[in-house]
Amino acid sequence: MTTTQVWERAFWPATESEAAQGPRKLPGFVVSSFSPLVAEVADRCLRAQYGEPSAAADDGARTAVVLVSRLGDFATDRAVAKAVDAGRPVQPLLFFQSVPNSVIGHVTTQWQLLGPVVCFSPEGDPEEAALEYADLLFADGEADRALLVVVELATEEGAHGSASALLVAPEDRPTGGEQP
Amino acid sequence: MTAPRPTAEREAVVVTGMSVTTAFGRGTGALREALAAGKPAFGEVTRFDVSRRRAKRAAHLPGAPVLVDELTDLLAQAAGQAGLDAEAVGGTPLLFARHSDPSWPRQPQERQADCHAAATGSTLAARAGLRDARRTYTNACVAASTALADAAALIASGREERVAVAAGYLVDEDVFSLFDAGRALADDGALRSFSAGRRGLLLGDGMGAVILESASAAERRGALPLAGLLGWGRAGDAYHVCQPHPEGLGMARALSAAMARADRAPEEVDYLNAHGTGTSYNDSAEAAAIHRAFGAYAPELPVSSTKSLTGHTLEASGIVEFAVSVLVLQEGLLPVNAGYTGQDPACRLNLVTDAPRSLKARTVVSLNAAFGGANTALVLGAV
Repeated sequence: MTTTQVWERAFWPATESEAAQGPRKLPGFVVSSFSPLVAEVADRCLRAQYGEPSAAADDGARTAVVLVSRLGDFATDRAVAKAVDAGRPVQPLLFFQSVPNSVIGHVTTQWQLLGPVVCFSPEGDPEEAALEYADLLFADGEADRALLVVVELATEEGAHGSASALLVAPEDRPTGGEQP
Repeated sequence: MTAPRPTAEREAVVVTGMSVTTAFGRGTGALREALAAGKPAFGEVTRFDVSRRRAKRAAHLPGAPVLVDELTDLLAQAAGQAGLDAEAVGGTPLLFARHSDPSWPRQPQERQADCHAAATGSTLAARAGLRDARRTYTNACVAASTALADAAALIASGREERVAVAAGYLVDEDVFSLFDAGRALADDGALRSFSAGRRGLLLGDGMGAVILESASAAERRGALPLAGLLGWGRAGDAYHVCQPHPEGLGMARALSAAMARADRAPEEVDYLNAHGTGTSYNDSAEAAAIHRAFGAYAPELPVSSTKSLTGHTLEASGIVEFAVSVLVLQEGLLPVNAGYTGQDPACRLNLVTDAPRSLKARTVVSLNAAFGGANTALVLGAV
């Protein structure tokens, strides 16, 4: 079994004022802060490692993106349910953000990450589940790096959501596309 | 990008149990008969009111089936076919895939924390007597195929001897309304994969359960494999939030990775079960991907999308189409690509149109794609 090494780690919110302001808006995504949170921590993590997207090009070919969220984007689901129950038309933009993959498409396009795209709801600790999953992908030979994003919206009124992103690699072999 | 190692260096993976339900009926037999008949399952939606929607049709079972009840039955049938006793089932993990439940966003805010996909996975594992369900996949139309690939990876690497995979989607008003608002549903009532004049997808009920295990473990038990899962590939497009790469680059990479792992050359593949949603974007991108991955052999490779029969079963697509692929190997009959009205120059493929085609297939490929540029390919072989 490989040992997964954490190369970089980023969080949202990083400060109390950030928490109060909420994550930056993400064009094309509405109603819910789920996708903006994912985009923000992913960008922070990748910038900390690579600086600019062009610097990630070589690694990106074998970088997986794994989104782990126990509850998922329930704010989008609630907006859809509310419109349906009221007999109102559903906002078309909600269709495009109705699955967690969509925001990964935003991240991978910006950073040219070409590895597997996976989202799951974990039983147990989400970060442990993400690391365990990265280890499986590495052992399976389909990625040499993985961007792991753990995100949860707040379930309590007035609270804020939170997200973290980890860039990880297998510890027991060099990266860069060599045959495992 | 280097290819993954062929499974020849690792534990071989076989299918020893399988059960599937679609709008054609409960159990694998209903799907087997429907594939032979080649008639789509679409009808007027009666499960909820569609009078305000552009599209009116879907492929769903009568009444209001309960997902966990249906999947518990399917898992029991799959485990029974695999010949597993309660002790063996109790040592087997579950990988599960589903869409969010329409009841969850209607719960009071204070109950939101209890409403999530992982809870369904764990409930299902407990009811089926399985060991646990550590991950419930939510990555849309590649959720089940990713779960199958990951189950195979767990077995091939020696981490697990046996894994149960289950997935399900039942047509519901929220998703129907959402897809209708996104103009993704065909308003002419048919899903016409790869066809000129195709107008989008139609939704379908789909649920399935599969038991995968190492060939050596199956042999020790004296279990008779239904098929081999020879290769799997997962790759991203890095192109768009919700559109596939127009040249199908991610799908092609997933195909090439799966075939390399299976140690199969393009011309050794007898049939490809396509994602084929019937949307303009997907089908042309997928045709480009097939040409890119199969090269000079692409014009000869028989292809069909059985979504044209079952409807698009979203998170369950991968498991329904995996079952179709196993049936192709067992029955020697390639399913029809229904609803076809003529060639789209962007989708030049050797499509199985008009009627099912007899062919004793030895190797088949199942291809899936999803929003966010997620792509998977699975290679199955006859045993």
